[in-house]
Amino acid sequence: MNALVALCHFCELHGPRTLFCTEAVHPPSPSPPQPGPAIPGDRDREADREGEGLTMRANSSATQRADMCEGCRSLPASHPGFVSVDSETGIRYLSHQHPRQQQLFSVVRQACVRSLSCEVCSHQLIKLNFIQIICICVILVYYLLLQVCPGREGPIFFGDEQHGFVFSHTFFIKDSLARGFQRWYSIVVVAMDRIYLINSWPFLLRHLRLTIQSLQNTALKVFDSEQCVCPQRAVRMNSAFSPAVFPHQRSGNAARSLTSLTQHPNLWASLHSSFSWLLKACGSRLTEKLLEGAPTEDTLVLIERQTEQEEEMSGWEGAEGGGSNPQPSQSESVQAKDFQFDDTRQEDLLGPKFKSLRHLRQVLGASDFRQLAWHVLMGNQVMWRGADPGLIQSAFNVLKALLPVGCVRAIPYSPHYEEAYRCNFLGLSPDVPIPAHVSSSEFSVLVDVLNVERGCVNHVSDDDILSLYQFNISSANTQATDKGPTLLNKMEVALSNENLSVEVVSLCLLCLKEEWMNKVKVLFKFSKVDGRGKEDTQKVLALLGATGPGEEDNVRLLKFWMTGLSKLYKSHLMTAVRVGERTLSQ
Amino acid sequence: MPTLLQKLFSKRAVGNGNARDCSTAVEKCWASAEFDLAQIRLIVYQDCERRGRQVLFDSKAIHKLDASELTADETKTPPNRSGACHIGSQASEKDKPPTYQYTRPASDVNMLGEMMFGSVSMSYKGSTLKIHHIRSPPQLMVSKVFSTRFGSSTSGSTNTLQDSYESMSQTFPSHTSSIGVCRVPSAPLLCLARSASFFAAHSNPVDMPSRGHSEDGDSGIARSASLSSLLATPLPSPGSSFSSGCASSYQRRWHRSQATSLQHGPIPRWNTEEMFSLSDESCSSNPAMIRRKKIAISIIISLPEREEENHNFQEFFFSHFPLFESHMNKLKTAIERAMIVCRRIAESSQRVQVYLCRVMEALGEFRMTVWNLYMAPRISEPVWLSMISQSTERNPLCQRFLKEMSLLMDHGAKSQFLSALLTAVLTHHLAWVPTVMPSSLPPIKTTCQKPASQTVDLLAKSHPYNPLWAQLGDLYGALGSPVRVCRTVVVGRRRELVQRVLYILSYFIRCSDLQEHVQPQAQMENPANPCSSQTTDPTPEKTFPPKPDPLKPTACVIDKALNPEPFPGTSVEQNNHTLLTDTKSTNPSSSLESSTVRPGCAEMGQECFGEDSDSVGGGLEHILANQSPLLHRVQFHIGSPRETENEGQAGGLSGVGCGRGLDRKLHQRLLTDIRRNESSDSALGDSDDEETSQRELYMATEQKEYELPLPTCQVESRASVNHFGRSLLGGYCPQYMPDFALHGISSDLRLKQCLVSDLEHTVLHPALDEPVAEALCIVADTDRLSVQVVTSQRRVCEGGQLGRDVMVSNLVHTLITSVLQLYALNIASDFCVMHLEDRLQELYFKSRSLAEYLIGQTRVHVKELGLALGIESSDIPLLAAVASTHSPYVAQILL
Repeated sequence: MNALVALCHFCELHGPRTLFCTEAVHPPSPSPPQPGPAIPGDRDREADREGEGLTMRANSSATQRADMCEGCRSLPASHPGFVSVDSETGIRYLSHQHPRQQQLFSVVRQACVRSLSCEVCSHQLIKLNFIQIICICVILVYYLLLQVCPGREGPIFFGDEQHGFVFSHTFFIKDSLARGFQRWYSIVVVAMDRIYLINSWPFLLRHLRLTIQSLQNTALKVFDSEQCVCPQRAVRMNSAFSPAVFPHQRSGNAARSLTSLTQHPNLWASLHSSFSWLLKACGSRLTEKLLEGAPTEDTLVLIERQTEQEEEMSGWEGAEGGGSNPQPSQSESVQAKDFQFDDTRQEDLLGPKFKSLRHLRQVLGASDFRQLAWHVLMGNQVMWRGADPGLIQSAFNVLKALLPVGCVRAIPYSPHYEEAYRCNFLGLSPDVPIPAHVSSSEFSVLVDVLNVERGCVNHVSDDDILSLYQFNISSANTQATDKGPTLLNKMEVALSNENLSVEVVSLCLLCLKEEWMNKVKVLFKFSKVDGRGKEDTQKVLALLGATGPGEEDNVRLLKFWMTGLSKLYKSHLMTAVRVGERTLSQ
Repeated sequence: MPTLLQKLFSKRAVGNGNARDCSTAVEKCWASAEFDLAQIRLIVYQDCERRGRQVLFDSKAIHKLDASELTADETKTPPNRSGACHIGSQASEKDKPPTYQYTRPASDVNMLGEMMFGSVSMSYKGSTLKIHHIRSPPQLMVSKVFSTRFGSSTSGSTNTLQDSYESMSQTFPSHTSSIGVCRVPSAPLLCLARSASFFAAHSNPVDMPSRGHSEDGDSGIARSASLSSLLATPLPSPGSSFSSGCASSYQRRWHRSQATSLQHGPIPRWNTEEMFSLSDESCSSNPAMIRRKKIAISIIISLPEREEENHNFQEFFFSHFPLFESHMNKLKTAIERAMIVCRRIAESSQRVQVYLCRVMEALGEFRMTVWNLYMAPRISEPVWLSMISQSTERNPLCQRFLKEMSLLMDHGAKSQFLSALLTAVLTHHLAWVPTVMPSSLPPIKTTCQKPASQTVDLLAKSHPYNPLWAQLGDLYGALGSPVRVCRTVVVGRRRELVQRVLYILSYFIRCSDLQEHVQPQAQMENPANPCSSQTTDPTPEKTFPPKPDPLKPTACVIDKALNPEPFPGTSVEQNNHTLLTDTKSTNPSSSLESSTVRPGCAEMGQECFGEDSDSVGGGLEHILANQSPLLHRVQFHIGSPRETENEGQAGGLSGVGCGRGLDRKLHQRLLTDIRRNESSDSALGDSDDEETSQRELYMATEQKEYELPLPTCQVESRASVNHFGRSLLGGYCPQYMPDFALHGISSDLRLKQCLVSDLEHTVLHPALDEPVAEALCIVADTDRLSVQVVTSQRRVCEGGQLGRDVMVSNLVHTLITSVLQLYALNIASDFCVMHLEDRLQELYFKSRSLAEYLIGQTRVHVKELGLALGIESSDIPLLAAVASTHSPYVAQILL
């Protein structure tokens, strides 16, 4: 919990004192520090700090007059304090006599003074007219009060934005040598989050009562045993005393430490543990279950591929004795790969590259691009043949973005032809022949990248691909590519609108892909999982908005994209059905 | 495992058994016991520097007198459980307000005054909040003490209401209706003269505005809120945070944990200057502000006698405190107004009547609101929360949800009622957005259900924030930027229909589910008990067995910690002395300062630092006593952090350089500490210093303290009962409720009366405990099949309408249509709900492209959006609101 706990004491000689304080120190921000004034607030309201100044002054003057006594002290001055570390969260719980930060020092001081001298805790029949006096008067007043007001125990919440918010529980500890045979203490919990502190009231009250009762009971035993040995009441009755001089008469014994009152040799260590636990438990009393969206299909597929790869790799390493690159952590690499489809090798290759779909479209021309994109979306094999593997790979990287990750099987550059079932993107060196069954197939398209012979290449910038290369697109496809699919039509609108930045276009593409992926899911569920008939399927297509112009292409696209669904998703749907059937049959 | 709540409900569900098919027929009440209105008592107190304390109001001392009827006190007729808590008596008899008699305040009032005021110094200007628990009779007292704003140059008088009370015969009932014939008892003249200046009508005859804040404060807060939230949330680099899952939820929570962190010291996040106005605003410009007067407003709630009921109420009260407080603020405003208004009335007895009447009315309102908050029916099974918490029940839940939704769709098909309603709800209750933002992490189980956010979970552990606060913000949809809060009210005479709407909306109005972790009752084992082991065995070795850890050489063995003499404390003073001499010699230029320090140097550790010597001086002593380089490193964190950093970077960790750095800093430290003791004005350092010191504090602590193991305790986890997700999704309530994120009512009569002022109040005193720019309310009328949005930002509405009609978003309409069509095609309902989530995710993606599109644009071309992004003009409000949760700049561009 974002709070601190302090044990305070009203010393007969020195007034309200902070005895022991446990703070929670949180690890530095888990995320990089945020720019901008994240915490607004005016911290220099000098005028408002009058009261505080008063108490500080009172304190210092009191200190000068008389040093701290045993009763005002918890750990000896030389004691370094205690620390407990929550290894799970990195939160450190520190205990000292005072908080170490100057601002907190005055906050706790204020809380201490208020809890023990200003606030009236509980319903008692004594009227306190003089409460407003904070300084030295308070000390005198409380000699009287402690005498006449033995039941001022209980919880209270108070505070304001200036001084923090305080949950305080005052209580008495028996002391056979003290005035009224008891000493007055309080445990304060200080926080800035007022609402949280109030919300925690029942919890804090429950557990502080345990702490307090335990201290009281222990002290009571000591008290009883001391009274047996030397009944103080009798001693006092016999000796004439006046309240004003009484404490000083017994100056040697007047201020007994809590340790001596409880005869608990490791009291402070125990209190440290109790307070640390209290802070931890109060902070984790309520936990949120906060859901985030299911990962996209692309993410799922990437994760699946990676785990496959890792398994393969580990098999390899087992056989070969290691030596491969260490894999980056899963989420990291997923993030890097996600939506960018970067192949690290691409950067190594020099020469001109396609930067975006729009760039590719500009280079190829609208109609050739349309044709090529159509083939990509339909799941046809797209072959690029040319001498520059870097260029071809950049083309694939750009084109891959049109498809869900699960639909992409690429062989960036190969010295020989690979069958369509192995890859839908295939880069080939210039002299590789295309088998006849492929070149005659309507399910493939070939882009030949031809070098344009020009005088001096050096003068041409890398960007100007057209001046370096010429592109020939050939396919045996006879279908019209200008009707559908709907996704491509919309995509072209975005690509052709120069007003839209490349980022907007890629987000637009992402939207379209997700939209269609969701349709794919429905169709998969409908046709593959439930196995519905044609008529129903047609209804589904209509409600998905896949009918109308370009319907044939839309359906082809949906069917192709189905192959890109993650295994996890598919198996989930299948098992869900089985479970559903089971419950139905029962 | 049945929760406590369920147990409570199951008892009551029987009586409510409306055996209709509609799933929401069984609505349940929160409380396990009756709650009597008279349990709430109001005391208004004044503490004046000159005149001492006076009771200005005590509801216990006020009796209602009615000539026609003989009902003594309206609070004596508690509302029955099924019925509403109406203050209808007042509403219907508006023309003839009740008459009250003021008797002597109860005997405990003096004591309560002591508790309210304590000894808060008069100089503190802000308002303070206190909560007391009174043991017998068991009561909770919440009090707020305000400084007064009292614009008066001539009237230095401190006459109070007390005077007016005194002027009246204690037993004499006066009737306000009979103006002029009021029989004033003997010797009123003197008192009237005395009280005249207090009640004197200040020259302004015009009806004053409700509050001073509402004029200038409204826009001011709005501006600052939007600005701060814009600044607070860093602009995400476009496209980069795609995989960041619950990014916006995370940010909100992280900022909350930082804003409420103690490590920054006390930083007022909030305007603490809230005052109690004792005069018309027209006078507030008067420079003669009298501040030496405080007004305390105190609500005392009698707790139920039975232990369990008492416990339940307290749990409810403390978890819902922000709502109680917000209503208290409303009450305060009303009292303020009552005091101002009654001062315009010259005639004493009538003035008191007006005052009493107004305050009693406000108190009645407060009581009723609290009663309703506690007793009103709730949606027993909110769809979203039930789906989160009971994954096994998912299928039937989905089925029921879709069935209800298709029924409603058919019902309001012509007017697109459901589409309009969902457009409004999705636009304003934005907590659904994080729940569809794709996670980058693989699902843990082999289901495709939504994963719980792990980043937020981790954050909650390492930087705890208040989950209840987060939940409240979720329910009110306060995720966007600028922060807006929204509620939804469904109005309709057909109970079943309204309940259906509520049930459906309980899927779209989302929040996190809360789990509570409680310690079992075995008390002696509880780590909160510091003496448990000691009582059985006081041997220290047994309690904390020493754990020599080779990895942590600085972690000392425990028995040392218990008898600490690890450092040669005797050498401290000597070292101090040499050090200061050294300072002088190495730093001749500062000899003057040195000499001012010297007189005290012999007892430096004790005197100069005061009792501070353990926190600061203690560290010093170690450094001085142990000149090992390891400890030198510790000292770097004591001085000015910025300098420390430089020193550290300079590599002066050992040898001569280090020694000098140490000297200089010690010297400085001494001076500043002395100054601090003289005057605490400089107690707060520079903010920059603190920023750096955060890290260093965390790091610095590694070296010093004795390490003890953190105690553990068995924890039982259970679904939390008292959280907003359960309490703010109301059922079909007898009366309009200002707190509920969602509820239904039969008539909008009261809604029309209260809504605008409620919304204004929400902006001024948000229960959310953070600045709010705008408060909204969606009003869905199932009788007229209309959906309107009412806003706190007053805009002219046509035809005296409450708000503006909602434009149906095409995206939302197609979304619902296709989900319901799938359902109609007999696709498994579980899958339909998954599809619904996918479609909501599409909305999120679209909002991202809209946000990206807006970056470069000065003007929005709607046609372009439609063609390229598939976003129509009807979708823009929705998508812009969604976008503002992840891209705060959107609001700026669109405004």
